[in-house]
Amino acid sequence: MGRILLRGGPNKLPPPDKTKERKHRMKFRAKIIDFACLSHFSRVITTISKLTKTCVLRLTPDNLFFVLCGKVANGGVSMWCELSQANFFDEYQMEGVSSEDNEICLEVTPDNLSRALKTVQNAKSVKVKLTKKHCPCLTIAAELPTLSSISRVVTHDVPVDVIPRRLWHEFKEPSMPDFDVSIYLPPLKTMKNVVDRMKNLSNFLVIEANLNGEMNLKIETDLVSVSTHFKDLGNPPWGDDASQLGRPSQSRDPEDMAEARVDIRKLQQFLMGQQVNPSKAMCNIIHQTVIHLILLHEDMSLQYFIPAVA
Amino acid sequence: MICVLEGNGVKVFGKAVHALSRIGETLWLDPGVKGLALRSVNAAHSAYGCFLFSPLFFHTFSLAPASGRRGEAPQCELLTKSLLPLFRCLTSIERNVERCRISIGDRSDQVEIQFFCRHGITKTHSLRFQESEALQAVFASHLCPNVLKAPARLLSDMVLHFPVSQEEITLSTTHLKVGLRNYSEGGNDRRKMMCTQMFLHPDEFDSLQIGVDSDITFCLKELRGFLSFAESHFLQVSIRFGAAGKPVCFSVEDMVLEATVVLATLIDSDSWDSSQLNVADAPPTARCADAAELPVDLHNADSSNAADMTEWVASSQGSPTMHPPSLMQLLPQIYEPDTLHAPDKACDRASATPASTTICSLLFRALSSELDDGGCTSRLPVLACYSDMEEDMEDLSKIPSP
Repeated sequence: MGRILLRGGPNKLPPPDKTKERKHRMKFRAKIIDFACLSHFSRVITTISKLTKTCVLRLTPDNLFFVLCGKVANGGVSMWCELSQANFFDEYQMEGVSSEDNEICLEVTPDNLSRALKTVQNAKSVKVKLTKKHCPCLTIAAELPTLSSISRVVTHDVPVDVIPRRLWHEFKEPSMPDFDVSIYLPPLKTMKNVVDRMKNLSNFLVIEANLNGEMNLKIETDLVSVSTHFKDLGNPPWGDDASQLGRPSQSRDPEDMAEARVDIRKLQQFLMGQQVNPSKAMCNIIHQTVIHLILLHEDMSLQYFIPAVA
Repeated sequence: MICVLEGNGVKVFGKAVHALSRIGETLWLDPGVKGLALRSVNAAHSAYGCFLFSPLFFHTFSLAPASGRRGEAPQCELLTKSLLPLFRCLTSIERNVERCRISIGDRSDQVEIQFFCRHGITKTHSLRFQESEALQAVFASHLCPNVLKAPARLLSDMVLHFPVSQEEITLSTTHLKVGLRNYSEGGNDRRKMMCTQMFLHPDEFDSLQIGVDSDITFCLKELRGFLSFAESHFLQVSIRFGAAGKPVCFSVEDMVLEATVVLATLIDSDSWDSSQLNVADAPPTARCADAAELPVDLHNADSSNAADMTEWVASSQGSPTMHPPSLMQLLPQIYEPDTLHAPDKACDRASATPASTTICSLLFRALSSELDDGGCTSRLPVLACYSDMEEDMEDLSKIPSP
């Protein structure tokens, strides 16, 4: 049968499944040698691990994305975290599923990655590779300094699941929502302290903000209502973007509050995961629909969507 | 017995209590001429720890029986959770406690621990104890084919890579390298578990003597406290072990104290070196913590033997020992590494609870090693046997002693 094919005769057999072939050739090898890069990378992974138990890791030639798509199971929150690989890795090579789709999509448990990285902070080098052991794994191989001339190698094999290409559409970058108000957040630590205390009183919290730089966090129960007010926060100048979205900022009354009532634990979880102050932290609110938190760090950006509840 | 600890000694003693608290729920204070031994065994009898403080460790140490007591100072069985709180906060002990006095025997059923603190404050704690013979693991460490010696720091650094929840790890040794990896039981979970592995070059060890290449798997949890103790005192740890299934012994010593932890290792019938053991009956895996089913009766030797035993403390380096005659009979029955053809009676009967056979025999099987090596080693007493054996006592009495 093979010979008939080679002769180029009428091909009665179905074409070979190219996607299946190429999947086996997926390769990923990257190396970190700089102490600061390793530390930052670990910190990013640790932050992600505090936000979700599992998520999708998308690897492209230039970037790494940690994606959580909003499903009922995780209460509708979704996350998009973007890192530029050049900021962390000294060497980075990948071959995706195919040449048209030069990307690798894996389902990972970030906590495993975080634990693996935490213990090798003093490594001379750390390699991250996609391997196949008893199942597909991300192998973290660290070369540790020792007193003798020979380095010690510690490897952690973190099991991952390969996401088939037909599901990739679920993990696309979220588009900027048509928000009502966009405002800079107060210092995250302050916000966390407030939210921590409010959590003891109620399961739901209302975030409201206006284009005058004012934001309130409110809870209300039968017995008590508590409200914390922030002023002079400033509003990001989306400017042209705002008008492109068809909502010119001038038409909205700056005093007009947009609000969303969210599950307080989701907000608390988001705040708990942050370990370092970001360069910029903002919140977009779509009235009674969703809050969209954006954190920009030097080397990564994180977007987190928390849906509003009735 | 009355002993007094001064200054830093209190902290060291406290650290030993911490280390032992990781092992078992009961702790024995076992005074003797060699000093005061603290011992603990875990519920599954798969881990044993002993800290022996020589009389030199103490400011004063006296075995003299208190008034009203006859005979030697008793072996006191205490609940770890009664003793641990006294030493829980080591930094505050370091700052405040000047002297600590431990006395057994002033009152018949209480140990009195007094802390003489700064500003003239004295805290007195009385802990009730149960008088019972301490379980001791006997381990013919000088017969182990493999011996590794390394600074505690190296071992601590290695176990740091394993998560705190990691139950068991596997140590594989060959002449060329020493490897450590985490151990997980088979099953679906295994696919999802992170595997961690590392290799050490022989140069990293102070000394490496490998008689037989082996892979041993043991509980890490119970070892951590001991390693932390060893590391804080900058001691060198000696690891003595043999093939899979035989216990592994970790020990440290300095001028005034000796500490030992003996851990059972899993018998892995899949491993290539299992042919060395005649334990084909045993199941391939048995969790260290798994032997809840195993009842262990303490064999109460009569008082004359009790006197002998108090002279002998664990972490023995092959020191000659006395033994109660009836127990000795058990040994040939259990430990016959040469009879590959016939499973032991013990194994047979206990095959109904295979896990228990594996677990209980793992530790006390330490005695099994080379019985032909002189009469002395074959007479090491087992101080604990499982109740299954009691039925056999009558049969055994008919067997001539070796």
